[in-house]
Amino acid sequence: MRAFSLEAGLLVLMLIVFVGGIFGRRDDSRRVGVVSVLGLVALFYWSLRLGPGASYWGGAYVVDDLALFAKRLFLGATVIGILGSLTLRAPAFARRATEYYLIMLSSLLGMLVLASARDLILLFVAFELMSIPLYALTGFQKRDGAAVEAALKFFLVGTVSSALIAYGLSFVYGVTRTTLISGIGPGLAGGSPLLILGLVITLAGLGFKIAAFPFHMWVPDTYEAANAPFVAWLSVAPKAAGFVVIFRLYLEGVGDNVVLWVPMATGLAAVTIVAGNLMAIPQQNIKRLLAYSGIAHIGYMLTGLAAVSASGVAMMLFYLVAYLFGNMGAFLVVEAVSQAEGSDNITAYRGLAQRSPVLALAMLLFLLSLGGIPFVAGFWAKLYVFWAAAEKGLYLLVLLGAVLTVVALFYYLLVAKRMYIDAPARPGPIAVPPLLALGILICGVGVVAMGVYPKPFVLTALRVAAAIF
Amino acid sequence: MIALPNLSLITWMPFIGAILIMFGARHNPFLVRLIAVVTTGISLVLSLRIFWLYDREAAGYQFYEELSLVPPLGITYQLGVDGMSLLMVLLTSIIIFAGVWASWTMKERSQEFYALLLILVSGVYGVFVSLDLFVLFLFYEIAVLPMYLLIGIWGSSGEVRPQGIFAWAFRRTGVGTKEYAAMKLTLYLLFGSAFILVGILALYVSADSSSFSLLELEQVRFSPQLQSWVFLAFYVGFGILAGIWPLHTWSPDGHASAPTAVSMLHAGVLMKLGAYGVVRLGMGLLPDGTHQWMWLVGTIACVNIVYGALSAMAQVDLKYVIAYSSVSHMGVVMLGAATLTESGLNGSVFQMFAHGIMTGLFFALVGLVYEKAHSREIFRMGGFGSMMPGIATAFTIGGLSSLGLPATAGFVAEFLTFLGAWQSRFPWWLFPGVIGAFLTSIYVLRVTKQIFWGPPSTDPHFHGLPDARGPEWAALIILVFVLILFGVAPGIAINPVDTATVPLLTRLGVLP
Repeated sequence: MRAFSLEAGLLVLMLIVFVGGIFGRRDDSRRVGVVSVLGLVALFYWSLRLGPGASYWGGAYVVDDLALFAKRLFLGATVIGILGSLTLRAPAFARRATEYYLIMLSSLLGMLVLASARDLILLFVAFELMSIPLYALTGFQKRDGAAVEAALKFFLVGTVSSALIAYGLSFVYGVTRTTLISGIGPGLAGGSPLLILGLVITLAGLGFKIAAFPFHMWVPDTYEAANAPFVAWLSVAPKAAGFVVIFRLYLEGVGDNVVLWVPMATGLAAVTIVAGNLMAIPQQNIKRLLAYSGIAHIGYMLTGLAAVSASGVAMMLFYLVAYLFGNMGAFLVVEAVSQAEGSDNITAYRGLAQRSPVLALAMLLFLLSLGGIPFVAGFWAKLYVFWAAAEKGLYLLVLLGAVLTVVALFYYLLVAKRMYIDAPARPGPIAVPPLLALGILICGVGVVAMGVYPKPFVLTALRVAAAIF
Repeated sequence: MIALPNLSLITWMPFIGAILIMFGARHNPFLVRLIAVVTTGISLVLSLRIFWLYDREAAGYQFYEELSLVPPLGITYQLGVDGMSLLMVLLTSIIIFAGVWASWTMKERSQEFYALLLILVSGVYGVFVSLDLFVLFLFYEIAVLPMYLLIGIWGSSGEVRPQGIFAWAFRRTGVGTKEYAAMKLTLYLLFGSAFILVGILALYVSADSSSFSLLELEQVRFSPQLQSWVFLAFYVGFGILAGIWPLHTWSPDGHASAPTAVSMLHAGVLMKLGAYGVVRLGMGLLPDGTHQWMWLVGTIACVNIVYGALSAMAQVDLKYVIAYSSVSHMGVVMLGAATLTESGLNGSVFQMFAHGIMTGLFFALVGLVYEKAHSREIFRMGGFGSMMPGIATAFTIGGLSSLGLPATAGFVAEFLTFLGAWQSRFPWWLFPGVIGAFLTSIYVLRVTKQIFWGPPSTDPHFHGLPDARGPEWAALIILVFVLILFGVAPGIAINPVDTATVPLLTRLGVLP
């Protein structure tokens, strides 16, 4: 039963949180969260001791390298996300803290199952288990009109995408007569256009989930309205899960039958990079800016996918980890500034370098990592996906991506300008709650470590990806 | 004797200095400057040492160092210098050492200023000594990025009036002029680095040797088609930094807005990174691409020379005059390279050095004049020669070198380049070059006469200005000395350079 130990452990943790929430003091939001973090850290440690190789239910549930890698990523992201959430102060939030963490953990449970699912039905169920809590969390501050509106938008778009995925998968099943992903390859060999149609529709549905252009509409509003620590988590974990599904369905399933969807992935990558970066420029709200830049990052990851190679997948995995640290770190800084200044506007960052040099330096590192500057994680991430694409001769896509990186640096540098060049709006340092500082520190160390010494991460990613092909 | 890792020490010494400054010299401006002087001084001494030890009989890369960085991907920390990079390392050392002295009076946030400046210098050294394309690219980015903050924070606004579509886009985001210059410069250069990166990746992928080593890639014969477009990518990428027309517009804005030491470094050294990149990577790795595109490189260089000189004549801001003259002189560098002759290429490298020194000198002087007179408007000033004879003399010597007077370094460089142009496939390149030299003499003499030797300005604002003093002299004396030394005895530079250009031209099939 070692293979299910992570999911079982998480269930136990959820039970503890649930019971503790019922019997604990209602006004103490911290304890539940701290218990969750400690439990997740224990699970993360346990996941490092698990080995790949197990397969259950006729191959419907596997614990391979990819699954383990993804699970660790999800657990790590959730730890950072909850660390950030622990400092949320809204009174409405404090009374319902148990619900918040419980919903977050149940979404995590969906992700953990998803990482192992190699069966269409299990995949879909896990996907929904992951997605539905996200809608609830977006509208968690239910007295906030904008949050409710954003949650509704997110929910509508999300259910439509789920419906698309279900619709597409039904075609897949109809042709292959099996719910196992391993059945797709043989089905394709039969040359059925219906199967191709099904896969295309499914990719469109997944496009909503990972927020690729033109399926990205829900992202800016949702990010702007929800609270920043949750957004930090939302911007990384569910998207990583979406990519895991894409790996399973399209790389393990379709395999190197690339004629079908490489043009799709290439086109999707190109338009996503261009649209995300261009739409980020005029943003005045840092959360919206990060939302659009996040869309652009999805485009860069799709560049790695378009390469359809082991190195391409490896580089995407590396990218996901780099993105985790960079993006979550940035959102945690946003939370710190937002708590102190009460504003998410970029002007709130004026003179931050003179008020809180360390916080400004952290933000600068995260932004440079997102922008792809050497010696922080994002540089290698971008380089590696370009590399994978160049290996397949997609030079134009690489050039497009590289040129638009400059556009991205423009808007990141505008934030850096506010922090370093402008005079501070008001004196005095910004107080950062210790747990939030811990989260920022973890992300900062991650960004720098991956930037200065990427070798172990690259080797791990290469090993994981080699197992898929 | 213990073999020192000379190149690593030279490269990383400023970086160590930056770290010491960040963590060891809180609120102690004197200590900050002391660390900066000592670390750049060590780099300078070591540069002189390798310049001395460099074996002029045995061509090729010397002082080789190697350390495996990312083995599965073939990235190696590989350092080495040949005659060309040797001279560039020396140039960098001289300029930064002088630059630290020249900005001795920098007060505002001096700790951060010097730290960023030293990090930038590490990047510059790194580009010149790297033999691994990938490491070279890393250093290139380090050399470019600190510039944004250096100009954005410590730069000067006011006399810069942005125009054109770029300025329009910036007004919408509410950016002021020095920020405008900083952003424009950074984006232009990063835009160029995108092309460089794609070119490097293309070479790596198609070489099939899973190594970024320059030495290994030099042995690979790439297909002509690939060479053709990769050469263009390198030309655009590095050419932006070298200030080629029409991608040069970041450079006058950037130079004019930057603080003194940054202007010196930037015009003196960083623009050479661009020319160096075109020669080392473009010509060194892609012989077919080189032969195919040299007509374009040379022709654009001619445009640079004449256009830069004409623009310099039209300026009223002293810093802009120097900045546009840089554009013109970088044209000479590119023209020399484009001739594909031994004398032309030697002239090109020599011009990189000579222009670096004299532009460094100019910007140091402009900085001093501005600091004392608080003006850069040429036609408001006049007759400063009587009040600041030292500065006036140095400016005149720099100016004479700029217009190519014999016995200064500028003369040797221009002479060799024009000789090369005459021997090249397109002898008519000589004429724009000579016209450029003529125009240069017009604006240089006019500016020198107006500011220093003409009738004194009636403006009471300019009465009783002091001459350079104390540490400021150090910068001027060093630079003037080097300028004349290399003009009188050009052989000390041309001998090592020749050991680099001859093998390069042999690989290009020009020399047997």
